Amino acid sequence: MLETRSLTKSFGAVHVTRAVSLKLERGERRVILGPNGAGKTTLFNLLVGELTPDSGSVHLAGEDVTALTVPRRARRGLSRSYQKNTLFDGLTVEENLALAAAVNTGHATRLWSDSLSRPEIRETLAEVAHQVNLMPYLHARVSEISYGVRRQLEVGVALATRPLVLLMDEPTSGVGPEMSKGFHELLNNLPRDLTLLIIEHDMDLAFDVADTITVLNYGEVVFDGLPDAARGSKLLKDIYLGSWEDA
Amino acid sequence: MFRHTPLRYAVLAILAIAALMQAFTAGYFGLEILIEILILCLLVLALDLVAGFGGMVSLCHGALMGVGAYAFVALNALAGLDPWLAALGAVAITAAVAWVIGAVCARSHGIYFIMATLAFGQMGYSYVFSAPLFGGDDGIGGIDRFDLTALGIDLSDSRTFALFCLAVLAAAYLFTVAILRSGLGRSLAGVMHNEKRMKALGLITWRVKADVFGLSGVIAGVAGVLAAQHIQFISPGLMNWTVSGEALVVVILGGLGTLVGPLVGAAAFVVMKHQLGEITTYWHLIVGVILIAVVMSRANGIFGWVEARWGARIERRLSDATRASTPKEVSTDA
Amino acid sequence: MTHDLSFWTLQTLNALQLSMLLFLLSIGLTVIFGLMHFVNLAHGALYALGAYIAASVAATAGFWVAIVVAPIGVALVGVVLYGGLIQRMRKSGPMAQVLVTFGLIFALLDLTRIFWGDLALAMATPPALSGQVDLLGVSYPAYRLFIIALGAAILAALALALSRTQVGAMIRAGVDNDAMAACLGINVERLFFVVFCVGCALAGLAGAVAAPLLSVTPGMGLQILIPTLIVIVIGGLGSLKGAIAGSLIYGFVQTFGAVLAPQLASVLIYALLAAVLVIKPVGLFPAKG
Repeated sequence: MLETRSLTKSFGAVHVTRAVSLKLERGERRVILGPNGAGKTTLFNLLVGELTPDSGSVHLAGEDVTALTVPRRARRGLSRSYQKNTLFDGLTVEENLALAAAVNTGHATRLWSDSLSRPEIRETLAEVAHQVNLMPYLHARVSEISYGVRRQLEVGVALATRPLVLLMDEPTSGVGPEMSKGFHELLNNLPRDLTLLIIEHDMDLAFDVADTITVLNYGEVVFDGLPDAARGSKLLKDIYLGSWEDA
Repeated sequence: MFRHTPLRYAVLAILAIAALMQAFTAGYFGLEILIEILILCLLVLALDLVAGFGGMVSLCHGALMGVGAYAFVALNALAGLDPWLAALGAVAITAAVAWVIGAVCARSHGIYFIMATLAFGQMGYSYVFSAPLFGGDDGIGGIDRFDLTALGIDLSDSRTFALFCLAVLAAAYLFTVAILRSGLGRSLAGVMHNEKRMKALGLITWRVKADVFGLSGVIAGVAGVLAAQHIQFISPGLMNWTVSGEALVVVILGGLGTLVGPLVGAAAFVVMKHQLGEITTYWHLIVGVILIAVVMSRANGIFGWVEARWGARIERRLSDATRASTPKEVSTDA
Repeated sequence: MTHDLSFWTLQTLNALQLSMLLFLLSIGLTVIFGLMHFVNLAHGALYALGAYIAASVAATAGFWVAIVVAPIGVALVGVVLYGGLIQRMRKSGPMAQVLVTFGLIFALLDLTRIFWGDLALAMATPPALSGQVDLLGVSYPAYRLFIIALGAAILAALALALSRTQVGAMIRAGVDNDAMAACLGINVERLFFVVFCVGCALAGLAGAVAAPLLSVTPGMGLQILIPTLIVIVIGGLGSLKGAIAGSLIYGFVQTFGAVLAPQLASVLIYALLAAVLVIKPVGLFPAKG
């Protein structure tokens, strides 16, 4: 569903991504682990097109999308959430979701209809709100909801475009442990055929939700395989768990 | 996202009543001022749409109005088209020019956007200034007003023309509100807030910006057609960047992104200009000092200040009043 | 039509003279922007002020005193502006800055009218420079050569100051990253103040040397503002290199456009600006990538 072939990017002399090759099957849920500065977010930026790679390619559903702009890739089914919330503060939760849902149906550029009142958009909206537990907050403005709920909305906005592949950049960053648990349930609510690539710091959550695990270090893939194998891997312990436990 | 509040409705009602009273009671000079205000209102409405709701601070809107006016003259006085057809053509041309400017400038932000639009505006100004076809520096006359005699309306009369402009302004206001409430308007709000995020959602943001800039050009074009018909003579001065600058001043003094505020600002600006102009030739000094004071006070213009200060209170009182007068009905105002 | 060598020499000199005048104006504006992220539309009004002060002083004390007094006078006005307005507006967005300085244009315009009246003032060229000089077979006004030489001298002085002196290094650091510069112990506030005043003084100097070429009117500040802005936007905001490149491009395009393609001349420079912005939205040599 999503594939990269020796994706490479450097800023000046610093290689932030070195020959990263990944392959995600349809419905696969993969967690990316790695210490700070391992190039996880840079990889996301390369995948969605916010950065252009120096070499290598990105393939989505069998199509080479390396030359496509961010919106074009998004329209082919690649969506992402951000580590820092990127919500539309003055709008309500419902309006935030509608803004995203309207893009793929073409209502986002239409002059003669209000996207929020279209039945197909309301349907998407209700479904997404249910999936990410936002039903009670639909009419609240972003400024009125708690940080944890905003994190849910951040994922909800990305989901409302009805993607094939969803990239989540630290969805639980900054929320407490009980919220992290709630997030596990949220993931279980998502359709099984949605392909997920998740950057996650919470190790327990990561091993819980992942079908497969990729570990990045200094921009390089140092492990790629099943969670059980990762758990026992000495390499992972050295470069990641060590630093994680120290922190 | 644009929302009508009771305060905004109230101010709109007051403005409409004041304009109607002025139209029916004023003498020739008063009517001229009224028409000047109404045309400036159209221009600032167009500017607030892009600047207040799309973050596109344009310094070419005066020039766009000029494009409307000169295109109308070209089609009407030079090509001999019926004024209605000429107006339709002129508005379409202005919209197309605005769309292209919007598309080209969509990649620029902040000061670069301001400068890029300024460049396009001045390009138009320099062109008409030196084009013999349009009379160059001397300007051009022989412009017809719309012919509505079939309906028993004579637009050569100042009072009738003022009322006509008022009707056009009302239509343009509704048009602007409709744009802001459409899917396109919602996307524009999203782009202004976080363009990168809208791109990641799959929105081709430059198209949204260009489309709204084009629609804003429709309103600016209408303003241009009316401006040409008003004095029945136009000169390149109409397209100079200071016209755009003044329009921007009016939008800011009135209240950016409130639609209603810039209308108040337009009325205040024109009245102030004429009143101060009578007392002193140094009215620019006074306008300049007021402008500096308003911007430095960090309020969102006069209307923004009123809204921030009394908006909530007035809203509460008004909704109390509606509830008291209609106790059985459920209030639908949110 | 054919042109002989003297035509090209003459027009090149004219273009250089215009370029140097614009350079004096744009360098202050662009460095102030690069360092403080402040857009000062009133820069043109300061130029007009310089011309007025010079014309008044020259009438009694002569040209040479005037071109020394005018920059100092304008720099003093700059001190007042900095303390009263600029410092408080630094953190505001570009739009607020554009508007405040737009208001300043209005105010300064009328203040010059109140002090000096609506009539145009004239300023004589100094006797030493009023003649013609033979240069490469062309007889060229000595005063215009003086402007070219003055511009070139200031350009060289600024380039040296920026690359060789302590203050220059601080300015370059500040343009690059003001937060970092502050961390390195540079007194950013004082640096801004000095740069702003020097920028104002250069605008005043430009006004003073331009005064004998044009008639001094309240509107001259507005007339020069647009060319100056075009120069810095084409060149790229914040850099000396950009100001030089922009000034030369503007001077040559405008001068040669006017004699070679008069019908196109007025639109040419704007079309060039639009083209630059489309291809490089931040200008040719921006201070930051």
